[in-house]
Amino acid sequence: MTDASLSPLALAPRAGGRPLAIAAAVVAVLALVPLVIADKFILSLGSTVFITAIAAASLHLIIRTGHISLGHAAFMGIGAYASVLTVMELGLPFAAGVLAAFVAPCLLALAIGPLVLRLTGKYFVLVTFLFGEIVRMVFVEWKSVTGGANGIFGIPAPAPVFNDPAAYYYLSLGAGVLLVGFIARLLASEVGRAIDAVRESERLAHCSGIPVLRLKVTIFALGCGIVGIAGALQGHFIRYVDPTSYSVVQSLNLVVVNVIGGMQTLVGPLVGTLFYLILPEMLRGYVELQRIIFGIILIIVMAFLPGGLVELGGRALQLVRRRAGS
Amino acid sequence: MLSPILLGQAVVNGISLSAIYILVALGFTLLFGIMRVVNFAHGAFAMLGGYALYYVYGRWGVPYLIAAPLSALGVALAALVLERLVYRWFYQKMFQSMIGLLGLEMAIVFTAVIIWDPHERSVPAALAGIVEVGGIIVPTDKLVIVGVAAVALAAFYLFTKFSKYGLAMRAAAQDVEIAAAQGIDTTRIYQLAFVIAIFMAALAGGFYAQTYALSPLMGERPLMMAFIVVILGGMGSIPGVALGGIILGFAESFLGTFYGGSVAVFASFGAVILLLIFRPWGLLGTPET
Repeated sequence: MTDASLSPLALAPRAGGRPLAIAAAVVAVLALVPLVIADKFILSLGSTVFITAIAAASLHLIIRTGHISLGHAAFMGIGAYASVLTVMELGLPFAAGVLAAFVAPCLLALAIGPLVLRLTGKYFVLVTFLFGEIVRMVFVEWKSVTGGANGIFGIPAPAPVFNDPAAYYYLSLGAGVLLVGFIARLLASEVGRAIDAVRESERLAHCSGIPVLRLKVTIFALGCGIVGIAGALQGHFIRYVDPTSYSVVQSLNLVVVNVIGGMQTLVGPLVGTLFYLILPEMLRGYVELQRIIFGIILIIVMAFLPGGLVELGGRALQLVRRRAGS
Repeated sequence: MLSPILLGQAVVNGISLSAIYILVALGFTLLFGIMRVVNFAHGAFAMLGGYALYYVYGRWGVPYLIAAPLSALGVALAALVLERLVYRWFYQKMFQSMIGLLGLEMAIVFTAVIIWDPHERSVPAALAGIVEVGGIIVPTDKLVIVGVAAVALAAFYLFTKFSKYGLAMRAAAQDVEIAAAQGIDTTRIYQLAFVIAIFMAALAGGFYAQTYALSPLMGERPLMMAFIVVILGGMGSIPGVALGGIILGFAESFLGTFYGGSVAVFASFGAVILLLIFRPWGLLGTPET
């Protein structure tokens, strides 16, 4: 199908020249950071930002189908444990761990997806909420494999070279560019339009020949697999995994990132990640205050600004342009 | 292992757990049924109820039967401020309310952490003694809890069924716009329902703090339980809450007594997930069109 046969509206969300150029510029700047700043703390924060961005973007992919998962961190945890166990118990290289981190949550999502994705809206939120809690309890109870509530300590770096924060920075930046880029490409493709159609109206999408359930399950499994990789990167970065790192609170944080940034475009979770990880640095030592501020922001965004910070930015830009034009 | 005494003990535990669960879940389902709000901040109000009881009864020594309803009422009336500032923006917006009120829960809980440190405290028992009936040991405390809960539930039932305001509340639950067209002041009715819902959550929170422990983070479990009870019975259905609360209370008590706590939680969560998948509107709810 050539682009000429499509309406201008359908072409609009396509990642055209300019967003791509902006993205390339941002990545180039990020790649230069370690050359300028050698501060270990900044580099570690950078790795955390990239890993969280992958997780948030993978949740965004699922949210785009109209389903908000409150159990996403559980899949991240499954990925983390899968990779750690593959590397530490089976003695396989890190690459195999990453593969396991993708495959394990993906398979689980494929198994439960056809059942839970029939549910709509609030029921899906509730089921994933409970599912996340069950997975966390499995991490706690299955002591022989997961180390129980204490988790697993002394996880090795992917390779000796990655003990250097700058090297890990590049590793997570590379993974981030690859995975977020993949998600962006997917959302801009034919599949992306089918995803948007499913969100807007499942019935209409179904009538237009989109295999709705199959598409939703595929996207769900893909999102869960990608967050599994983020989990593996995190586990080998902070060197331990434990059940509380992947609890409902963590799932909630991923939703918060998406809501604050905006749920309508992929830029939303990326902006949200920055905001979510940078604001706490400014309020260090006031952990409670941070949570209170996030809580209030959530209320305000949900009540008045469903498009999140991205929408706010867009409005401000429009205002500036109108001023400049008149 | 299956001695009649142990069985009786499990039944008594089941009744008192059911009473707490029904109280928490009733407020939750009320807010959902009438205002279409999924109150993720419900646990926070239960926690506040616990602290209110801690001060009114534990510190100031007001007699228990007055202190329990009084502290819950105090929380509910104070919460009216939040009704005006926060909840009003989310009425009839099921989805936005979920995330927005999660934010409210976060804000309340961490404000509580700042005011009262995160350490656990305990609320003294209403009565210290135990009653022995045919070998079954029942702490008097539990009897008081069940009694107060039963009175609150009966009062709620009579109020919604027979009073003018109860009728108005039921009308608003069916269709707000038509109710308003009939001359019902829906803003007031919403406030009334809100106060009732928070009152019950705070009352249950007090009992919960008494039975387990009091801390700013204690609201999480009551919230989960309210969730499960409401899903089990059907969202927005009041008889459903009674049924769901009894099922969950007894399941937890029996499975907990015979197989241990974590089996009980696994089993109830698993059962609820299965129910959600095959009958998402719950046992007594009605499917959405």
